[in-house]
Amino acid sequence: MTVTAQSDEELIERYGRGDAAAFETLYRRHEMRIWRYLQRYVNNRATADELMQEVWFAVARDAQRYEPSARFTTWLYTIAHNRMIDSVRKSRRQTSLEAIGYEAEPVVHQLTADPCAGPFAAAVARDQAGGLARALEKLPAEQREAFLLQTEGDLGVEEIAAITDSSFETTKSRLRYARTKLRELLKEYA
Amino acid sequence: MNEVPPGRDEPDDVDELYRRASAGDDSRPSEWVRHAVLTHAAHLAAERARQTGHAGRAPRREVNQPWRRPAIFGTLAAAALAGLLVAPHFLPPPTPNVAMKSQAPATSAPTPDVRQYAAPPAARREAAAPPAAPSPAVPPQEAEQRSSGMLAEQRPPPAATADERKLAKAGASARNETTSPEAAASLAAKNAPAKLAGTVSAQREAAAPMADAAVRADPGARLRQAAETGDAPALQRVLDEQSDIDGRDDSGRTALLLAAQHGQDHAVEVLLAHGADPNAADSNGDTPLKAAIHGHRQAIAAALQRAGAR
Repeated sequence: MTVTAQSDEELIERYGRGDAAAFETLYRRHEMRIWRYLQRYVNNRATADELMQEVWFAVARDAQRYEPSARFTTWLYTIAHNRMIDSVRKSRRQTSLEAIGYEAEPVVHQLTADPCAGPFAAAVARDQAGGLARALEKLPAEQREAFLLQTEGDLGVEEIAAITDSSFETTKSRLRYARTKLRELLKEYA
Repeated sequence: MNEVPPGRDEPDDVDELYRRASAGDDSRPSEWVRHAVLTHAAHLAAERARQTGHAGRAPRREVNQPWRRPAIFGTLAAAALAGLLVAPHFLPPPTPNVAMKSQAPATSAPTPDVRQYAAPPAARREAAAPPAAPSPAVPPQEAEQRSSGMLAEQRPPPAATADERKLAKAGASARNETTSPEAAASLAAKNAPAKLAGTVSAQREAAAPMADAAVRADPGARLRQAAETGDAPALQRVLDEQSDIDGRDDSGRTALLLAAQHGQDHAVEVLLAHGADPNAADSNGDTPLKAAIHGHRQAIAAALQRAGAR
Protein backbone atom coordinates (compact mmCIF):
# COMPACT_ATOMS: atom_id res chain seq x y z
CA MET A 1 0.00 0.00 0.00
CA THR A 2 1.38 3.39 -0.90
CA VAL A 3 1.67 6.07 1.75
CA THR A 4 -0.78 8.39 0.04
CA ALA A 5 -3.55 5.76 0.01
CA GLN A 6 -3.50 5.50 3.79
CA SER A 7 -5.91 7.17 6.15
CA ASP A 8 -4.89 10.09 8.33
CA GLU A 9 -5.08 7.87 11.38
CA GLU A 10 -2.73 5.28 9.90
CA LEU A 11 -0.30 7.98 8.84
CA ILE A 12 -0.09 9.63 12.24
CA GLU A 13 0.45 6.26 13.87
CA ARG A 14 3.22 5.48 11.40
CA TYR A 15 4.81 8.82 12.13
CA GLY A 16 4.63 8.07 15.84
CA ARG A 17 6.79 5.04 15.12
CA GLY A 18 9.38 7.18 13.31
CA ASP A 19 8.21 7.32 9.67
CA ALA A 20 8.95 10.88 8.51
CA ALA A 21 7.41 10.31 5.05
CA ALA A 22 4.06 9.61 6.68
CA PHE A 23 4.15 12.99 8.39
CA GLU A 24 4.99 14.80 5.18
CA THR A 25 2.04 13.17 3.43
CA LEU A 26 -0.22 14.16 6.30
CA TYR A 27 1.10 17.71 6.28
CA ARG A 28 0.62 18.18 2.55
CA ARG A 29 -2.84 16.65 2.74
CA HIS A 30 -4.04 19.16 5.35
CA GLU A 31 -1.70 22.07 4.75
CA MET A 32 -4.00 24.37 2.78
CA ARG A 33 -7.16 23.61 4.76
CA ILE A 34 -5.61 24.25 8.12
CA TRP A 35 -3.89 27.33 6.70
CA ARG A 36 -7.18 28.76 5.44
CA TYR A 37 -8.83 28.03 8.77
CA LEU A 38 -6.09 29.90 10.64
CA GLN A 39 -5.55 32.70 8.17
CA ARG A 40 -9.22 33.45 7.64
CA TYR A 41 -9.87 33.50 11.35
CA VAL A 42 -6.99 35.74 12.46
CA ASN A 43 -6.87 37.66 9.14
CA ASN A 44 -3.16 38.26 9.56
CA ARG A 45 -0.63 36.47 7.45
CA ALA A 46 2.32 36.63 9.85
CA THR A 47 0.23 35.41 12.78
CA ALA A 48 -1.22 32.63 10.64
CA ASP A 49 2.31 31.54 9.69
CA GLU A 50 3.31 31.43 13.33
CA LEU A 51 0.21 29.50 14.28
CA MET A 52 0.70 27.10 11.40
CA GLN A 53 4.15 26.27 12.66
CA GLU A 54 3.00 25.93 16.25
CA VAL A 55 0.13 23.64 15.31
CA TRP A 56 2.27 21.27 13.26
CA PHE A 57 5.09 21.29 15.78
CA ALA A 58 2.52 20.20 18.35
CA VAL A 59 1.22 17.49 16.02
CA ALA A 60 4.76 16.19 15.50
CA ARG A 61 5.58 16.31 19.19
CA ASP A 62 2.39 14.66 20.41
CA ALA A 63 1.98 12.12 17.63
CA GLN A 64 2.71 9.24 19.98
CA ARG A 65 -0.07 10.41 22.28
CA TYR A 66 -2.68 10.40 19.52
CA GLU A 67 -5.46 7.92 20.21
CA PRO A 68 -7.07 6.31 17.17
CA SER A 69 -10.48 6.45 18.86
CA ALA A 70 -10.75 10.09 17.72
CA ARG A 71 -10.61 11.24 14.12
CA PHE A 72 -7.26 12.76 13.24
CA THR A 73 -9.00 15.82 11.79
CA THR A 74 -10.82 16.47 15.06
CA TRP A 75 -7.55 16.18 16.95
CA LEU A 76 -5.77 18.45 14.49
CA TYR A 77 -8.41 21.18 14.58
CA THR A 78 -8.62 20.98 18.35
CA ILE A 79 -4.90 21.74 18.51
CA ALA A 80 -5.36 24.55 15.98
CA HIS A 81 -8.32 26.01 17.87
CA ASN A 82 -6.41 26.02 21.16
CA ARG A 83 -3.35 27.65 19.62
CA MET A 84 -5.52 30.25 17.96
CA ILE A 85 -7.32 31.15 21.15
CA ASP A 86 -3.97 31.50 22.94
CA SER A 87 -2.75 33.73 20.15
CA VAL A 88 -5.83 35.92 20.22
CA ARG A 89 -5.48 36.35 23.97
CA LYS A 90 -1.80 37.20 23.58
CA SER A 91 -2.44 39.68 20.78
CA ARG A 92 -4.76 41.61 23.06
CA ARG A 93 -1.77 42.30 25.26
CA GLN A 94 0.91 42.71 22.61
CA THR A 95 1.41 44.73 19.49
CA SER A 96 1.08 42.61 16.39
CA LEU A 97 4.21 41.64 14.51
CA GLU A 98 3.05 43.47 11.42
CA ALA A 99 2.47 46.64 13.39
CA ILE A 100 6.10 46.67 14.52
CA GLY A 101 7.35 46.18 10.98
CA TYR A 102 7.70 42.42 10.81
CA GLU A 103 7.75 41.16 7.30
CA ALA A 104 7.45 37.54 6.45
CA GLU A 105 10.20 35.95 4.42
CA PRO A 106 9.94 36.92 0.78
CA VAL A 107 8.09 33.83 -0.21
CA VAL A 108 7.48 32.20 -3.52
CA HIS A 109 3.99 33.61 -3.74
CA GLN A 110 2.30 31.81 -6.60
CA LEU A 111 -1.14 32.68 -7.75
CA THR A 112 -3.51 29.81 -7.60
CA ALA A 113 -5.54 31.29 -10.42
CA ASP A 114 -4.64 29.67 -13.70
CA PRO A 115 -2.33 32.08 -15.57
CA CYS A 116 -3.53 30.65 -18.87
CA ALA A 117 -7.03 31.88 -18.08
CA GLY A 118 -5.91 35.45 -18.75
CA PRO A 119 -5.66 38.60 -16.65
CA PHE A 120 -9.41 39.22 -16.54
CA ALA A 121 -10.22 35.83 -15.04
CA ALA A 122 -7.36 36.21 -12.56
CA ALA A 123 -8.65 39.64 -11.51
CA VAL A 124 -12.16 38.26 -11.03
CA ALA A 125 -10.81 35.41 -8.94
CA ARG A 126 -8.84 37.82 -6.72
CA ASP A 127 -11.89 40.04 -6.35
CA GLN A 128 -13.96 37.07 -5.21
CA ALA A 129 -11.28 36.04 -2.74
CA GLY A 130 -11.17 39.57 -1.37
CA GLY A 131 -14.94 39.60 -1.06
CA LEU A 132 -14.85 36.36 0.85
CA ALA A 133 -12.22 37.69 3.26
CA ARG A 134 -14.30 40.83 3.90
CA ALA A 135 -17.47 38.80 4.36
CA LEU A 136 -15.83 36.48 6.87
CA GLU A 137 -14.46 39.42 8.76
CA LYS A 138 -17.97 40.76 9.22
CA LEU A 139 -19.07 37.62 11.03
CA PRO A 140 -18.77 37.44 14.81
CA ALA A 141 -15.67 35.44 15.78
CA GLU A 142 -17.64 32.44 17.10
CA GLN A 143 -19.75 32.19 13.95
CA ARG A 144 -16.71 32.60 11.74
CA GLU A 145 -14.83 29.86 13.51
CA ALA A 146 -17.76 27.46 13.50
CA PHE A 147 -18.23 28.02 9.78
CA LEU A 148 -14.51 27.57 9.02
CA LEU A 149 -14.34 24.40 11.09
CA GLN A 150 -17.26 23.04 9.13
CA THR A 151 -16.07 24.01 5.65
CA GLU A 152 -12.31 23.61 6.00
CA GLY A 153 -12.19 20.95 8.68
CA ASP A 154 -15.16 19.07 7.28
CA LEU A 155 -16.34 18.61 10.84
CA GLY A 156 -19.82 17.87 12.11
CA VAL A 157 -21.82 20.00 14.52
CA GLU A 158 -21.01 17.72 17.45
CA GLU A 159 -17.31 17.86 16.75
CA ILE A 160 -17.35 21.65 16.38
CA ALA A 161 -19.28 21.94 19.62
CA ALA A 162 -16.68 19.79 21.38
CA ILE A 163 -13.74 21.72 19.95
CA THR A 164 -15.15 25.14 20.77
CA ASP A 165 -16.49 24.01 24.11
CA SER A 166 -20.04 25.00 23.24
CA SER A 167 -23.37 23.22 23.32
CA PHE A 168 -24.77 21.42 20.29
CA GLU A 169 -27.66 23.89 19.95
CA THR A 170 -25.42 26.94 20.27
CA THR A 171 -23.10 25.60 17.60
CA LYS A 172 -25.97 24.80 15.28
CA SER A 173 -27.33 28.28 15.76
CA ARG A 174 -23.93 29.87 15.04
CA LEU A 175 -23.67 27.90 11.82
CA ARG A 176 -27.13 28.89 10.74
CA TYR A 177 -26.49 32.61 11.35
CA ALA A 178 -23.09 32.43 9.65
CA ARG A 179 -24.55 30.83 6.54
CA THR A 180 -27.43 33.27 6.34
CA LYS A 181 -25.11 36.24 6.61
CA LEU A 182 -22.57 34.87 4.14
CA ARG A 183 -25.30 34.13 1.62
CA GLU A 184 -26.30 37.76 1.82
CA LEU A 185 -22.76 39.12 1.66
CA LEU A 186 -21.60 36.88 -1.17
CA LYS A 187 -24.68 37.10 -3.39
CA GLU A 188 -22.95 39.52 -5.76
CA TYR A 189 -20.51 36.73 -6.63
CA ALA A 190 -23.23 34.15 -7.25
CA MET B 1 -12.71 7.15 9.26
CA ASN B 2 -12.51 10.08 6.88
CA GLU B 3 -16.14 10.08 5.80
CA VAL B 4 -18.31 13.12 6.45
CA PRO B 5 -19.37 12.91 10.08
CA PRO B 6 -23.00 12.76 11.20
CA GLY B 7 -24.58 16.10 11.88
CA ARG B 8 -23.01 17.76 8.85
CA ASP B 9 -25.59 19.55 6.71
CA GLU B 10 -25.67 18.86 3.02
CA PRO B 11 -23.53 21.29 1.00
CA ASP B 12 -25.62 24.28 -0.05
CA ASP B 13 -25.22 27.44 -2.13
CA VAL B 14 -23.04 29.06 0.54
CA ASP B 15 -20.59 26.18 0.28
CA GLU B 16 -20.53 26.65 -3.46
CA LEU B 17 -19.94 30.41 -3.13
CA TYR B 18 -17.26 29.79 -0.55
CA ARG B 19 -15.43 27.27 -2.71
CA ARG B 20 -15.58 29.49 -5.77
CA ALA B 21 -14.25 32.50 -3.88
CA SER B 22 -11.54 30.35 -2.27
CA ALA B 23 -10.28 29.32 -5.70
CA GLY B 24 -9.14 32.89 -6.30
CA ASP B 25 -7.35 33.16 -2.97
CA ASP B 26 -3.64 33.08 -3.62
CA SER B 27 -2.58 33.13 0.03
CA ARG B 28 -0.67 30.18 1.31
CA PRO B 29 1.70 29.52 4.19
CA SER B 30 5.23 30.83 3.87
CA GLU B 31 7.85 28.44 2.59
CA TRP B 32 9.85 28.73 5.79
CA VAL B 33 6.91 27.32 7.73
CA ARG B 34 6.81 24.18 5.64
CA HIS B 35 10.58 23.87 5.83
CA ALA B 36 10.63 24.35 9.60
CA VAL B 37 7.75 21.94 10.22
CA LEU B 38 9.08 19.16 7.99
CA THR B 39 12.63 19.53 9.31
CA HIS B 40 11.41 19.39 12.89
CA ALA B 41 9.17 16.41 12.16
CA ALA B 42 11.97 14.55 10.39
CA HIS B 43 14.27 15.19 13.32
CA LEU B 44 11.73 13.78 15.77
CA ALA B 45 11.05 10.81 13.50
CA ALA B 46 14.76 10.00 13.34
CA GLU B 47 14.92 10.08 17.13
CA ARG B 48 11.90 7.81 17.43
CA ALA B 49 13.22 5.40 14.83
CA ARG B 50 16.54 5.23 16.66
CA GLN B 51 14.81 4.58 19.96
CA THR B 52 12.67 1.84 18.42
CA GLY B 53 15.52 0.22 16.49
CA HIS B 54 18.23 0.36 19.12
CA ALA B 55 16.29 0.04 22.34
CA GLY B 56 18.76 -2.46 23.78
CA ARG B 57 21.87 -0.46 23.01
CA ALA B 58 21.12 2.68 25.00
CA PRO B 59 22.15 5.24 22.38
CA ARG B 60 23.50 8.65 23.38
CA ARG B 61 20.26 10.47 22.53
CA GLU B 62 18.31 8.49 25.09
CA VAL B 63 19.79 10.77 27.69
CA ASN B 64 16.78 12.92 26.92
CA GLN B 65 14.37 10.34 28.29
CA PRO B 66 13.06 11.59 31.63
CA TRP B 67 13.56 8.30 33.45
CA ARG B 68 17.24 8.31 32.67
CA ARG B 69 17.92 11.76 33.97
CA PRO B 70 17.79 10.91 37.68
CA ALA B 71 20.07 7.94 37.14
CA ILE B 72 22.63 9.91 35.15
CA PHE B 73 22.70 12.89 37.40
CA GLY B 74 22.69 10.70 40.48
CA THR B 75 25.81 8.97 39.16
CA LEU B 76 27.39 12.31 38.32
CA ALA B 77 26.60 13.69 41.77
CA ALA B 78 28.12 10.59 43.39
CA ALA B 79 31.23 10.95 41.23
CA ALA B 80 31.46 14.60 42.23
CA LEU B 81 31.21 13.67 45.91
CA ALA B 82 33.89 11.05 45.49
CA GLY B 83 36.04 13.62 43.70
CA LEU B 84 35.71 16.02 46.60
CA LEU B 85 36.68 13.37 49.09
CA VAL B 86 39.65 12.16 47.04
CA ALA B 87 41.01 15.53 45.88
CA PRO B 88 42.20 16.79 49.30
CA HIS B 89 44.38 13.70 49.71
CA PHE B 90 46.45 14.71 46.70
CA LEU B 91 47.03 18.23 47.97
CA PRO B 92 50.10 19.16 50.02
CA PRO B 93 49.28 19.20 53.73
CA PRO B 94 48.47 22.67 55.08
CA THR B 95 51.42 24.16 56.88
CA PRO B 96 49.78 24.56 60.33
CA ASN B 97 48.83 20.86 60.42
CA VAL B 98 52.34 19.78 59.46
CA ALA B 99 53.80 22.01 62.12
CA MET B 100 51.43 20.60 64.70
CA LYS B 101 52.38 17.08 63.68
CA SER B 102 56.10 17.75 64.03
CA GLN B 103 55.59 19.38 67.39
CA ALA B 104 53.16 16.84 68.79
CA PRO B 105 54.42 14.39 71.39
CA ALA B 106 54.89 10.84 70.13
CA THR B 107 52.48 9.46 72.68
CA SER B 108 49.51 11.67 71.75
CA ALA B 109 46.87 10.12 69.51
CA PRO B 110 46.95 11.74 66.03
CA THR B 111 43.77 13.38 64.69
CA PRO B 112 42.16 11.70 61.67
CA ASP B 113 43.53 14.46 59.43
CA VAL B 114 47.07 13.95 60.59
CA ARG B 115 46.73 10.19 60.16
CA GLN B 116 45.70 10.65 56.57
CA TYR B 117 48.56 13.00 55.77
CA ALA B 118 50.99 10.61 57.39
CA ALA B 119 49.74 7.61 55.42
CA PRO B 120 51.42 6.64 52.11
CA PRO B 121 49.60 7.60 48.86
CA ALA B 122 48.33 4.06 48.21
CA ALA B 123 46.78 3.88 51.65
CA ARG B 124 45.15 7.28 51.06
CA ARG B 125 43.54 6.06 47.88
CA GLU B 126 42.23 2.96 49.63
CA ALA B 127 40.82 5.06 52.42
CA ALA B 128 38.98 7.22 49.91
CA ALA B 129 37.63 4.33 47.83
CA PRO B 130 34.45 3.31 49.76
CA PRO B 131 32.56 6.62 49.35
CA ALA B 132 32.82 6.25 45.55
CA ALA B 133 29.94 3.72 45.53
CA PRO B 134 27.20 5.65 43.73
CA SER B 135 23.91 4.50 45.22
CA PRO B 136 24.44 5.10 48.94
CA ALA B 137 26.15 8.44 48.32
CA VAL B 138 23.13 10.23 46.82
CA PRO B 139 19.52 9.26 47.53
CA PRO B 140 17.50 8.92 44.29
CA GLN B 141 15.01 11.65 45.26
CA GLU B 142 17.75 14.11 45.98
CA ALA B 143 19.49 13.23 42.74
CA GLU B 144 16.27 13.78 40.82
CA GLN B 145 15.77 17.20 42.40
CA ARG B 146 19.25 18.18 41.44
CA SER B 147 18.93 16.91 37.92
CA SER B 148 15.59 18.61 37.30
CA GLY B 149 17.02 21.87 38.57
CA MET B 150 19.87 21.63 36.14
CA LEU B 151 17.75 20.70 33.17
CA ALA B 152 15.54 23.70 33.68
CA GLU B 153 18.54 25.97 33.50
CA GLN B 154 20.76 24.43 30.86
CA ARG B 155 20.05 23.76 27.21
CA PRO B 156 20.68 21.56 25.36
CA PRO B 157 20.77 18.54 27.70
CA PRO B 158 23.77 16.75 26.10
CA ALA B 159 25.93 19.86 26.57
CA ALA B 160 24.84 20.08 30.21
CA THR B 161 25.95 16.51 30.77
CA ALA B 162 29.37 17.18 29.30
CA ASP B 163 29.74 20.27 31.43
CA GLU B 164 28.89 18.31 34.54
CA ARG B 165 31.65 15.87 33.73
CA LYS B 166 33.99 18.79 33.36
CA LEU B 167 32.77 20.19 36.64
CA ALA B 168 33.32 16.88 38.44
CA LYS B 169 36.97 17.12 37.47
CA ALA B 170 37.28 20.83 37.96
CA GLY B 171 38.36 20.83 41.61
CA ALA B 172 41.54 18.88 41.06
CA SER B 173 42.35 20.18 37.61
CA ALA B 174 41.99 23.81 38.62
CA ARG B 175 44.36 23.31 41.52
CA ASN B 176 46.81 21.52 39.25
CA GLU B 177 46.49 24.42 36.77
CA THR B 178 45.93 22.08 33.85
CA THR B 179 42.50 23.41 32.79
CA SER B 180 42.67 24.93 29.33
CA PRO B 181 41.51 28.54 28.95
CA GLU B 182 38.75 27.44 26.53
CA ALA B 183 37.42 24.81 28.93
CA ALA B 184 37.55 27.27 31.80
CA ALA B 185 35.77 29.89 29.71
CA SER B 186 33.13 27.33 28.79
CA LEU B 187 32.62 26.52 32.46
CA ALA B 188 32.29 30.17 33.38
CA ALA B 189 29.86 30.82 30.55
CA LYS B 190 27.38 28.41 32.08
CA ASN B 191 25.37 29.59 35.04
CA ALA B 192 26.44 28.15 38.38
CA PRO B 193 23.31 26.32 39.51
CA ALA B 194 22.78 26.89 43.19
CA LYS B 195 20.60 23.79 43.29
CA LEU B 196 23.57 21.47 42.87
CA ALA B 197 24.96 19.56 45.78
CA GLY B 198 27.45 21.34 47.98
CA THR B 199 30.23 19.14 46.64
CA VAL B 200 29.77 20.23 43.06
CA SER B 201 29.30 23.84 44.17
CA ALA B 202 32.58 23.70 46.01
CA GLN B 203 34.36 22.40 42.95
CA ARG B 204 32.68 24.95 40.76
CA GLU B 205 33.76 27.69 43.15
CA ALA B 206 37.30 26.44 42.93
CA ALA B 207 37.17 26.63 39.12
CA ALA B 208 35.29 29.92 38.89
CA PRO B 209 38.14 32.39 39.46
CA MET B 210 40.21 30.76 36.77
CA ALA B 211 37.28 30.55 34.35
CA ASP B 212 36.46 34.21 34.96
CA ALA B 213 40.05 35.13 34.32
CA ALA B 214 40.03 33.15 31.08
CA VAL B 215 36.85 34.87 29.89
CA ARG B 216 38.23 38.28 30.85
CA ALA B 217 41.39 37.58 28.92
CA ASP B 218 39.60 36.42 25.75
CA PRO B 219 37.54 39.15 24.03
CA GLY B 220 35.89 36.53 21.82
CA ALA B 221 34.67 34.59 24.86
CA ARG B 222 33.40 37.81 26.42
CA LEU B 223 31.58 38.70 23.22
CA ARG B 224 29.90 35.29 23.06
CA GLN B 225 28.99 35.39 26.72
CA ALA B 226 27.45 38.85 26.36
CA ALA B 227 25.54 37.76 23.26
CA GLU B 228 24.26 34.59 24.91
CA THR B 229 23.06 36.39 28.03
CA GLY B 230 21.84 39.50 26.20
CA ASP B 231 24.11 41.76 28.25
CA ALA B 232 23.86 44.85 26.02
CA PRO B 233 26.42 47.09 27.80
CA ALA B 234 29.00 44.30 27.88
CA LEU B 235 28.29 43.50 24.25
CA GLN B 236 28.84 47.10 23.25
CA ARG B 237 32.05 47.31 25.27
CA VAL B 238 33.55 44.25 23.59
CA LEU B 239 32.47 45.42 20.16
CA ASP B 240 34.13 48.78 20.84
CA GLU B 241 37.36 46.89 21.43
CA GLN B 242 37.18 45.69 17.83
CA SER B 243 37.30 42.00 18.69
CA ASP B 244 36.59 39.40 15.99
CA ILE B 245 32.81 39.59 15.77
CA ASP B 246 32.63 36.18 14.12
CA GLY B 247 34.98 34.47 16.56
CA ARG B 248 33.92 30.93 17.44
CA ASP B 249 33.86 28.74 20.53
CA ASP B 250 34.83 25.06 20.73
CA SER B 251 31.64 24.07 18.89
CA GLY B 252 32.14 26.61 16.14
CA ARG B 253 29.35 28.86 17.43
CA THR B 254 29.60 32.58 16.79
CA ALA B 255 28.18 35.26 19.08
CA LEU B 256 25.33 35.76 16.62
CA LEU B 257 24.40 32.09 16.65
CA LEU B 258 24.42 32.02 20.46
CA ALA B 259 22.28 35.14 20.60
CA ALA B 260 19.81 33.61 18.13
CA GLN B 261 19.71 30.33 20.05
CA HIS B 262 18.96 32.10 23.32
CA GLY B 263 16.39 34.50 21.92
CA GLN B 264 18.44 37.64 22.56
CA ASP B 265 16.67 39.94 20.09
CA HIS B 266 18.62 43.04 20.96
CA ALA B 267 21.98 41.29 20.86
CA VAL B 268 21.12 39.92 17.41
CA GLU B 269 20.25 43.42 16.16
CA VAL B 270 23.47 44.88 17.59
CA LEU B 271 25.66 42.13 16.17
CA LEU B 272 24.05 42.40 12.73
CA ALA B 273 24.46 46.18 12.82
CA HIS B 274 28.18 45.61 13.49
CA GLY B 275 28.48 43.31 10.49
CA ALA B 276 28.26 39.84 12.04
CA ASP B 277 28.01 37.12 9.41
CA PRO B 278 24.32 36.01 9.39
CA ASN B 279 25.20 32.72 7.69
CA ALA B 280 28.07 31.58 9.92
CA ALA B 281 27.23 27.96 10.81
CA ASP B 282 28.63 25.99 13.73
CA SER B 283 30.38 22.64 13.44
CA ASN B 284 26.99 20.89 13.17
CA GLY B 285 25.96 23.08 10.27
CA ASP B 286 23.41 25.05 12.34
CA THR B 287 23.05 28.65 11.23
CA PRO B 288 21.59 31.54 13.22
CA LEU B 289 18.45 31.44 11.04
CA LYS B 290 18.01 27.73 11.61
CA ALA B 291 18.40 28.25 15.35
CA ALA B 292 15.87 31.08 15.34
CA ILE B 293 13.30 29.05 13.42
CA HIS B 294 13.87 26.01 15.59
CA GLY B 295 13.38 28.11 18.71
CA HIS B 296 10.27 29.87 17.35
CA ARG B 297 12.11 33.21 17.44
CA GLN B 298 10.05 34.97 14.82
CA ALA B 299 11.47 38.48 15.24
CA ILE B 300 15.04 37.19 15.21
CA ALA B 301 14.38 35.11 12.10
CA ALA B 302 12.96 38.18 10.37
CA ALA B 303 15.95 40.31 11.38
CA LEU B 304 18.37 37.66 10.13
CA GLN B 305 16.54 37.37 6.84
CA ARG B 306 16.65 41.11 6.38
CA ALA B 307 20.42 40.86 6.91
CA GLY B 308 20.70 38.25 4.18
CA ALA B 309 20.50 35.00 6.16
CA ARG B 310 19.62 32.01 4.08
